[in-house]
Amino acid sequence: MVLAHRMALESPLVTAEMVEASEFPAVAARHHVSGVPQTTINDGAGTLVGSAPESYLIAEIKKALKQ
Amino acid sequence: MPLLSDKIASQVRDVFNANLQQPVELLYFGRQQDCDYCDDNRQLLEEVTALHPTLHLITYDLDANADVARQYGIADAPATVIAARDEAQDGTASVHDYGIRLLGIPSGHEFGTLIQDLIVVSGRDSGLEPATRAFLSNLQKPIHLQVFVTPT
Repeated sequence: MVLAHRMALESPLVTAEMVEASEFPAVAARHHVSGVPQTTINDGAGTLVGSAPESYLIAEIKKALKQ
Repeated sequence: MPLLSDKIASQVRDVFNANLQQPVELLYFGRQQDCDYCDDNRQLLEEVTALHPTLHLITYDLDANADVARQYGIADAPATVIAARDEAQDGTASVHDYGIRLLGIPSGHEFGTLIQDLIVVSGRDSGLEPATRAFLSNLQKPIHLQVFVTPT
């Protein structure tokens, strides 16, 4: 979780929110949350399930941005 | 009745004393109705921010302060913005919003996330690897990350 927040701190183009899934079931359902932590990139353009090192999240972001 | 036991409060205070550097502003958004965790969330933030003088808390009501909520893009409660507090020499303070949000109460495992967030923002340094920083510095488009968690 803190990784996403660190990225938000690093870049003015990144925003990162922790969503407590049981308090916001509608949001979690919309993003098909099956396991936690799940990181959703740009409203579903990319998804990463589980804790992952920085390089994994960056790779997933690149895929989501199609870079 | 405090949410943090004396033991936990003491441990967190020690961690804060060893790690906090520059001021942090927490903006909490709650609402009066239909919010099971709002009271606990607000109380938790009050207790945590009371543990160290660099931590500041502003409490808003999602409905009564709808303009502020809109400014920060907050549509649900409880929500918390963890931002830098920049204090000018004349004593005025301003909020530097990095886009860091907590939606829902940071309890259980996420209590640790809250504490780490406060330390990272207080240090004003992401601590990310050089390759990650390089990638982020070349971003052309906005990225919105949502990390779904559960309190266990």
